[in-house]
Amino acid sequence: MDKTSKVFRWIDKRYDLGIVEHFAKEKRVPQFKGSFWYYFGGVSLFLFIVQVVTGILLLMYYQPGAQSAYESVRFIVTKVQFGWLIRSIHSWSANLMILSVVIHMFSVYFTKAFRTPRELTWYSGFILLALTLTFGFSGYLLPWNTLSYFATKVGTEIVGVVPIIGKPIMELLRNGSDVTTATLTRFFGLHVAVLPALFTVILGAHLLFIQVQGISEPESWKDLPESKKKHIPFFPNFVLRDILLWLIVLNVLAILAVFFPWELGHKADPFASAPMGIKPEWYFLFMFQSLKFFPAKLAMIDGEVFGISLFGIAGLLWFLVPLWDSKTSKGKRNKIINYVGIGVVLYIIILTVIGAR
Amino acid sequence: MKMIRLLLVVWCTFTLFAVVGASGQTMKPVDKCLSCHTDIGSDEATAYMTDIHYKAGVTCADCHGGDPTVEDQDAAMNPKKGYVGVPKPSSIPEMCGKCHGSEKSTFKTAYHLDDVMDEFLASVHGRALSQSSKGPTCISCHGIHNILDINSVKSPVYPTNVTKTCAKCHSDPDYMKKFNPGLPVDQYEKYLTSVHGKLNKAGDPKPATCVSCHSNHLIRSVKDPRSPVYPMNIPRTCAKCHSDKSYMAQYNIPTNQYADYKQSVHGIALLQNSDLSAPACNSCHGNHGAVPPGASSVASVCGTCHQANSDLFDKSVHRAAFAKSNLPGCVVCHSNHLVRQPSDTMIGFGPESVCGKCHKDVPTDSAASSILAIQATLDSLTVGRTDAESLLGHAEQLGMDVSDASYSLKDVNQSLVESRVQVHSFNASLVKSAAEPGLKIVGNAQVSALGEIKEYYFRREGLGVATLIITALAVLLFLKIKQIERRSEK
Repeated sequence: MDKTSKVFRWIDKRYDLGIVEHFAKEKRVPQFKGSFWYYFGGVSLFLFIVQVVTGILLLMYYQPGAQSAYESVRFIVTKVQFGWLIRSIHSWSANLMILSVVIHMFSVYFTKAFRTPRELTWYSGFILLALTLTFGFSGYLLPWNTLSYFATKVGTEIVGVVPIIGKPIMELLRNGSDVTTATLTRFFGLHVAVLPALFTVILGAHLLFIQVQGISEPESWKDLPESKKKHIPFFPNFVLRDILLWLIVLNVLAILAVFFPWELGHKADPFASAPMGIKPEWYFLFMFQSLKFFPAKLAMIDGEVFGISLFGIAGLLWFLVPLWDSKTSKGKRNKIINYVGIGVVLYIIILTVIGAR
Repeated sequence: MKMIRLLLVVWCTFTLFAVVGASGQTMKPVDKCLSCHTDIGSDEATAYMTDIHYKAGVTCADCHGGDPTVEDQDAAMNPKKGYVGVPKPSSIPEMCGKCHGSEKSTFKTAYHLDDVMDEFLASVHGRALSQSSKGPTCISCHGIHNILDINSVKSPVYPTNVTKTCAKCHSDPDYMKKFNPGLPVDQYEKYLTSVHGKLNKAGDPKPATCVSCHSNHLIRSVKDPRSPVYPMNIPRTCAKCHSDKSYMAQYNIPTNQYADYKQSVHGIALLQNSDLSAPACNSCHGNHGAVPPGASSVASVCGTCHQANSDLFDKSVHRAAFAKSNLPGCVVCHSNHLVRQPSDTMIGFGPESVCGKCHKDVPTDSAASSILAIQATLDSLTVGRTDAESLLGHAEQLGMDVSDASYSLKDVNQSLVESRVQVHSFNASLVKSAAEPGLKIVGNAQVSALGEIKEYYFRREGLGVATLIITALAVLLFLKIKQIERRSEK
């Protein structure tokens, strides 16, 4: 008996690892042409772990406050050993995580994995996406540089446009009527305490739903006999493939962090005018660009209010896709879902490209 | 004969009409005001006989109103007929302005009179008059009933008299306090000590008087940018005479001062950059007491602004050496009107050096080693800074953060300025002491830049090693997966 088996037996005697052993042996993952997309869930999880680890390391030196935030980040990237690497990996990983979560969401959408009985997995996943974007938005302000200050100002201003509830939400976010050091401490609290706690709980639920229900099989398998369906064991095959991809992502992260270190920029000056052509981060760019195309007035309604309301409704419809996909329960093919999905992907890509120019 | 007499009378009558008609005048009846007041022995009436206005046909009534055709005093001095008597001071400019103002009049056309009333009212004097009845009016300078042609040597506004006329008020502290307590009252005294004043007192009407610089009727405050004595306008005002070759010919002095000044560091600062702290002509020569500074006082004059340089020069070996040879201090190296932006190339024995004017780069010249040492110190600081900037720029291009070191280089400038000032001590060790802090900063910045460049390559090497390890792990894992999958297929 080797050492690993000895340790396993020792724990098994005390805690009965039979359930885990059974789960690991029995759990299988469908293997088909599009199964590559399954790995983006794992990549998102890996990047979240990277975020947590690098975030904790940054927290050891970061000091929130108008007079200390920028200076402490500067200290991290210039004086702390490997501080530049940790900060750069944290920033790059945040962006890659958003990208990975978005890809994961669209892969689930196009493979119709949101259909019964996996509605709750979809809802929890959507909430995780919203939380990831909030992570990005709140973390962006923390270095307290010119770009982050004005991006937060513009971003929270857009929220304030929404009738009735907009202004109270804006003031709640800003912790006052303007973006100040109070906003910074509020965002810091959100970023390092509230969001991680919420995210961990919902992520736990999301993973639990997947483990309980198993990984969704493709729609094309519905009419296939069991003998024609190909699976691979979750452990070790799928897990090892996951780890292989994680290693590749880690390599990409390291290269990005070293060759394209995340800039710190200039310290925010609330009394200065906003820099010309200020833009939000790339993941909000399509919405920002869309709002620019709306006319000032649309049938007596303010163009910006109309646009934001439209995005709100679109987001809600996307969230509720398991409900309005009428053929879900009947297990029929629904081409409209695909057309809507392709339309949304094209819209986001085109508007992002236009906005980035 | 009778016929000849008749023809002569007719000819004379026509001639008289022609002369009167040509001057635009009409035959006026006898001025009863003047005849009565002359009869009663009035000084004013007697004086008026010599007045330029009398000669031009201006009557008492033209200024004082009333009816000059009647002998009866009550009828002649009847307010209903416009009689005003002695006019109030505030109404004098308006009264004179009837002919000397903007409105057209027979006299104005006939005598080509300028519109001086509006100019006067817009001047500091016009404003003073609007504030107090004791303020200056036309008669304060020109007199009352005995006003003379301004070209008459007896006129109070003739060049040789005008300074005294201005001084009547401007040298009276009690009077001036009422209008501008801060204004000095020693201008006339200073003027008498100036080159202008001395020539003027000797009867020369050409040198500058008060009105040459301040203008006559439209005198504006020195703080008014439209004033000819506003700092930025002073060089041009002085140049009106001093750049005029024919005007200055008899005084045998150069006329290129303004042309030189415009190209000088002072002229560029004042005229192009609108830096009002930059010196104009009066800053070195004085204004009312203008004289060219003598050879011994040049350093003191420059020292009013360049105090540190002047102090160092005073303690240097050059002070006594220059005095002995009657050399004008600062001007020897920096020139006078054409003061160029100083540069380090002035030190040493190069083509632009000023040291080489007197010294030679030979062992027998004891100053040569000091000159070369000073030059070397300044060069090491400027070249060192350029090298450090270049290295920091390279590190920055590589994406490294060198902002602390770059910021520290700003202090080198202070050290460089202090070293350049110490050059005026002509002491190599003092120059080196001043440069020492800057040289230290430059050294630290270079070390910092090199460290960051090294760190850059270390990061890439580290990345290379990390990538290799991760890739090796990934390959091993891939092989392991393949092995497991092959086993499970079997």
